[in-house]
Amino acid sequence: MNVAVVYIRMRNRVQVNGNQAVRIKDIARIIGPEDEIRMIEDILLLTVKKEDRSIIVVDLAQVIMAIRKVDPGVEVETFGPSQTIIEIILTKKKMSFLTFALVWFLLFIGGAMTIMNFHVDVSMGEVHQKIFTIITGKVEEKPLLIQIPYSFGLGMGMILFFNHFFKKRFNEEPSPLEVEMFNYQQDLDRYVTMNENKENVRHLDDR
Amino acid sequence: MMTGRIIFGIFAGLAGGFATGAGFVAFLTVLGVIPRLTQLTKTMKMIHYYEGAIIAGVVAGTWFGLQETEFFLPQVLLIPIGLADGIFNGMLAAALTEVLNVFPVLSKRIGIQEKIIYLLMALVLGKIAGSLFQWIYFVDM
Repeated sequence: MNVAVVYIRMRNRVQVNGNQAVRIKDIARIIGPEDEIRMIEDILLLTVKKEDRSIIVVDLAQVIMAIRKVDPGVEVETFGPSQTIIEIILTKKKMSFLTFALVWFLLFIGGAMTIMNFHVDVSMGEVHQKIFTIITGKVEEKPLLIQIPYSFGLGMGMILFFNHFFKKRFNEEPSPLEVEMFNYQQDLDRYVTMNENKENVRHLDDR
Repeated sequence: MMTGRIIFGIFAGLAGGFATGAGFVAFLTVLGVIPRLTQLTKTMKMIHYYEGAIIAGVVAGTWFGLQETEFFLPQVLLIPIGLADGIFNGMLAAALTEVLNVFPVLSKRIGIQEKIIYLLMALVLGKIAGSLFQWIYFVDM
């Protein structure tokens, strides 16, 4: 008898609507004989219910179990991630302009205050006066000739570091902020796959 | 007696310099501003010269700052100096991990992913405004 081999690659992260039926094809990529794929892809894994919170983790083990229940003869080869995070979107979160404006204002004032505190903390003003004297030999109470370019340079340096000026970017590389966002998402995903995945943890009283 | 004092003075000064210099380099390394600059300008190979630039800058700043040297140069020179000072400080401020760690969390909390760049600009404009305000008005108060 010829045993059909199918290859499964779980997707990392998928988004589904509330009350949606999740089939294998939604969370994994299947490669193998045509008719096997069609059968496996339509296997119903779970239906998203109201009680489910925002995230469900489906382990590879659950998928293989579901496949074997339908067709025990199939041989499953797996690669890629061993679980999929299903993100349930109940209502598309609309961000309110007011929140955005408030956060914008918070960051604006916060940025201004912290830089002023920093300048006082390190006696930046005195240093500027001293540089003025070193270069020109004159004493100046308010060396604005240094300080105004300095202030604009401050903004330019930050933009340069983040590689962004509103929509425009200086080159194709991801900016440190995008990398940081990615790392944060990865950490969250890792936490979720460890803690929400029923296959990973087993308490004594579960037996 | 005198020689002993001189030797001790030299030793103490050298030790203080070592500690401060090492601390300064560690600070720069943690923030990773120089690698970021080489990455932006695609001049990875020149990084040793950048090290040299930092060391030369630190030594010059220390020496002229402590010696009260005066050069009697034209005032226009202060503009590029101020600008470079600002850009470097801006990169340091942007590189602080606090900033880098706050934004991902903030964007998740209030549910904006695409508009995060506008929040970044809020911080940048805030820094510029705060700095200008301080030098032009605040110092007189």
